[in-house]
Amino acid sequence: MAEDLKNKARELLRARQVDLVIGYKRASDGIAAAPCFIDIEGDADKLIWDAYCVYNLSVYLKDFRGKKIGIIAKACDVKSIIVLLQENQLKREDLFIIGVECPGVIDEKRLCFSDRQYQEVDRAIKCRPCASAVPLLYDWLLKEKEKMGKVSEDHDKYDSVRKLEAKSLAERLKFWEGEFSRCIRCYACRQVCPMCYCPKCVADQAMPAWFPKATGDKGNFSWNVTRAIHLAGRCIDCGECERACPVGIPLRDINKKIEKDVKELFNYEAGLNAERKPLLSCFDKTDPADFIR
Amino acid sequence: MENIISKKDLVDRIEGLLKDFEIIGPRELPNKGIFYQPIVNAGDLYLGDSFTVEPVKKYFLSPSEYLFKENLEQGAKPVEELPLPGAGRIIIGVRPCEARGLVLLDKIFDAEYKDDFYTSNRKRSVIVGLSCLMPDKTCFCTSMGGSPAENRGMDAILFSAGDGFIVEIITDKGKDIFGALGSDIGKEEKKAWELDKEKRKGALEKRITAPESLDGTFESVYWQKASLACLSCGICTYLCPVCHCFDLVDEERKKLKCYDGCAFVDFTLHASGENPRPTKKERYRQRVFHKFEYFKKNFGENLCVGCGRCIRHCPVKIDIADIVDKAPLTQ
Repeated sequence: MAEDLKNKARELLRARQVDLVIGYKRASDGIAAAPCFIDIEGDADKLIWDAYCVYNLSVYLKDFRGKKIGIIAKACDVKSIIVLLQENQLKREDLFIIGVECPGVIDEKRLCFSDRQYQEVDRAIKCRPCASAVPLLYDWLLKEKEKMGKVSEDHDKYDSVRKLEAKSLAERLKFWEGEFSRCIRCYACRQVCPMCYCPKCVADQAMPAWFPKATGDKGNFSWNVTRAIHLAGRCIDCGECERACPVGIPLRDINKKIEKDVKELFNYEAGLNAERKPLLSCFDKTDPADFIR
Repeated sequence: MENIISKKDLVDRIEGLLKDFEIIGPRELPNKGIFYQPIVNAGDLYLGDSFTVEPVKKYFLSPSEYLFKENLEQGAKPVEELPLPGAGRIIIGVRPCEARGLVLLDKIFDAEYKDDFYTSNRKRSVIVGLSCLMPDKTCFCTSMGGSPAENRGMDAILFSAGDGFIVEIITDKGKDIFGALGSDIGKEEKKAWELDKEKRKGALEKRITAPESLDGTFESVYWQKASLACLSCGICTYLCPVCHCFDLVDEERKKLKCYDGCAFVDFTLHASGENPRPTKKERYRQRVFHKFEYFKKNFGENLCVGCGRCIRHCPVKIDIADIVDKAPLTQ
């Protein structure tokens, strides 16, 4: 299977169809995967594809603007590529999408807390409700030859959101203050996010400083809420922010809440159609307006 | 001086100390990790094998240190300094690598220049270490001149032994809180303890050779390739027990000293708009060179204790040990 992938990368590089292939290689520990960047045929041997390939590599596309890029992308990663295309951040002709059928990736976080023993059942929570093992958009597809079993479980993807919604405002505030109190403001959630491509992030602006740079209730709350709101109608739930967060803030819960609101209010889901205009750049007469009083 | 104590006696002693001291130690937050936190009940202390996410550094160099406040009111002092912390406190469960990190930080903040906040925090803290029994696969302290059983920078250190602990008392501060606790270690037990210490050292699998100097590699394309995957976030610097770069921030008429990290895009951004480290290559190289070149030139040691945090928590598994080990010295 990985051999097909390597051959495809070699072929693309040889034909100068792409300048670079962004894929996965084995990490230094010999178990995990790490992103890798292949620009010569000889290096294509490094490429791997398995359940450890958790990263959404589309975050790297902005580093190579103007180049022809081949990128290995799972179904969720392709959704973020679609949003980037919708938002004119990419040119489709610069991109060769090497789609991979994905049976779900491992849950790195849970692996961490279970004495680092990998078990087949340890698929990431985000993967459970994922219905599409096959990317929506690709130029070439690596098929899973082995039957990997049913990916999508009968799993309410808004389960944890509903639990939070059931709490009172005061309880919710207390919950999030507790979670955000651990935030160290490393901005890994922003840096790992393919949608966070602003040349100058609001959090980095000094004149004016929109919210405190210092760690503390005020700044931590402002940062985390601003980040989430900026993803309204754009987040495709690759879950990279939550995975990257070193202090375990359940960032997907905030993202999912906004995703759920967007779906209920506008019947819009991010990352499904590259031809459609982004939700927040268009106005429709049927948009709900009952919040205007 | 070494004593053997049961876990219950240790917890009871800590419970007793809570009356007079602030006690900080590792606590397990389910599904989140291990975090240093103020301890309210001694039973909450986590003295197991896993490692804290954040190092103990934050109790000596605060992520956001409030330095002084500007006063504009009539008759008030124009600049109001924050009183220095003075109350005694005990920090328990500090790993040997983190304690050695403090010894390295002393070379910067308690030397020619003395940082009042740092030195006050150092003076008021009793450090009780915890030797590591099961190193993580990312740990490489023995390659950085350390060991899971060393006691540099500590006042006392705990070694798990059967159902209890062996307490090695190192300084008078350590004696004050742990003296006359448990029973003296016997000859046989001491022999077993010495063997155990050797075993702990041998448990580390990750080994690297840090070069004498990286000087010749500065212009190498190696750094560009090594940093391609870097996301420019602050995890490696903020979670490092010895990274200590900071930024001065003005907020609500307060002057704050906040953590800053060389991986951030705007770390060296000048007011003119010029950035001498415009790409990941320059920024990542700076991190490596600060640790394995510049600091070594100035102080004779690497600015790295091999705790493995930057590798463990890097969202894209960048391995600084591997990168330093493979640096192209022959170029």
